[in-house]
Amino acid sequence: MENETNPVYKDERYGQSRELFYFYEEGGKFEKKVGYHPDGSRIILQQAWDLFNERIEEAKQKALAGKVSPVVYYMEKTLVSPLDLSMHTGISLWRVKRHFKPRVFKRLNDKTLAKYAEVFKVSIDQLKNIE
Amino acid sequence: MEQNFTINYTHRQAGHCESGATSNLFNFYGYELSEPMAFGIGNGIYFSYIPFLKLQFAPMLSFRNFPNTVFHRTLKNLGIDGTVIKKFNDPKESMDALDRNLEKGIPTGVQVGVFNLTFFPPEYRMHYNMHNMVVFGKEGNMYHISDTVMEHPQMLSYDDLLRVRWAKGAFAPKGKMYWINGINKELDFRTAVDAGIKKTVYELTKIPFPLIGVKGIKWLAKDLKKWPKKIGNEKASFYLGQILRMAEDFGTGGAGFRYIYGAFLKESGEKFNNHELLAASDMMGKTANKWREFTYIGARNCKNRSQPQEDYGMLSDMLMEIANMEAQVYKKLETVKL
Repeated sequence: MENETNPVYKDERYGQSRELFYFYEEGGKFEKKVGYHPDGSRIILQQAWDLFNERIEEAKQKALAGKVSPVVYYMEKTLVSPLDLSMHTGISLWRVKRHFKPRVFKRLNDKTLAKYAEVFKVSIDQLKNIE
Repeated sequence: MEQNFTINYTHRQAGHCESGATSNLFNFYGYELSEPMAFGIGNGIYFSYIPFLKLQFAPMLSFRNFPNTVFHRTLKNLGIDGTVIKKFNDPKESMDALDRNLEKGIPTGVQVGVFNLTFFPPEYRMHYNMHNMVVFGKEGNMYHISDTVMEHPQMLSYDDLLRVRWAKGAFAPKGKMYWINGINKELDFRTAVDAGIKKTVYELTKIPFPLIGVKGIKWLAKDLKKWPKKIGNEKASFYLGQILRMAEDFGTGGAGFRYIYGAFLKESGEKFNNHELLAASDMMGKTANKWREFTYIGARNCKNRSQPQEDYGMLSDMLMEIANMEAQVYKKLETVKL
């Protein structure tokens, strides 16, 4: 068990905090130890984040190419599903899904855009134009 | 208006957020209640598998009970007076109520969403709304926070605290807060532990629904076998990763809270000198070790996504074995007399 050393993540921000883990040894002794993530959890955490980043990158390319609206990119970036996004913005699910189309997105008024901008924590300008 | 209230509150790190908070709150009122005890008496342990709901693109599953169960049931089983405000109508009102409590010197637990928590480790920044922490002071615009996942107490500004208390999405906290009104009697652990164990045995083996408890683990084991064919290796490995992450990370103390529960059985067994409980704790400890072994073997599958190193059939059999081991623990607990 790597307990005292900080395991290496691809992203340096990860794995900086020490957590409390329990252990059990034969003979009936439960132990508490404070330490960094062991190897196993590191792999699965990194795997999840790899997948999220892949999805974000894919959505970004699609949005830049004009195949989908920027809402999709920001949705992936905030790690929400369409259903979650509908709950967060208070816009019904079928409308959210419609706003994924660039054609529909272009016609949105500022009131609706502001709702998205608030959830994604960006300005309306940034929402319209992805860097 | 400058307001400064600091309460002399001891922050102790814990495996699980809510039972850690409960245990620290008891400690504040001068009663020693360890984290495993709070977890056991408050029925923290649970299992549910909900394949038709997705959390972060993978089936939702949970190793713990619903938020606030631990606090609520610990108080109920020990017969202590506490207050839970389930929801507020207005964010401002919820913050004012918190301020009033701090002014009176009451450390107050709040339910929050973790996505916007500024001090939280970035690898855990997900839309998970069932996190708990205790607010124990205010200095100007900053609040003192005791989050048991973190090693040290933290600070959070008014706006940030408001944002996390009003996080949206599934299981939105809606400003929920809770505190203990005061303890002025001897704690009767015997009846509390008895009630806690009875309820746990019921919840994990007897609920007539196939996705909850031991039956849920078996269902998951059967599903796990089918994943590679049904959804492809890539996705199967991600789904498996979700199980492992839920079990090992996210402040579980390891092995999906099974270690904490084992520690609870051990502690109460020693308290009442009950050999049955000690035997059950040993079985639970072994089950927990098996869970951890499952995590490590499963993690190898996640390393290389498209070509699994381990056979999913083998993992499924392992999960089935775990389910049977757990079933035996609960069977044993059912016969324990306190």
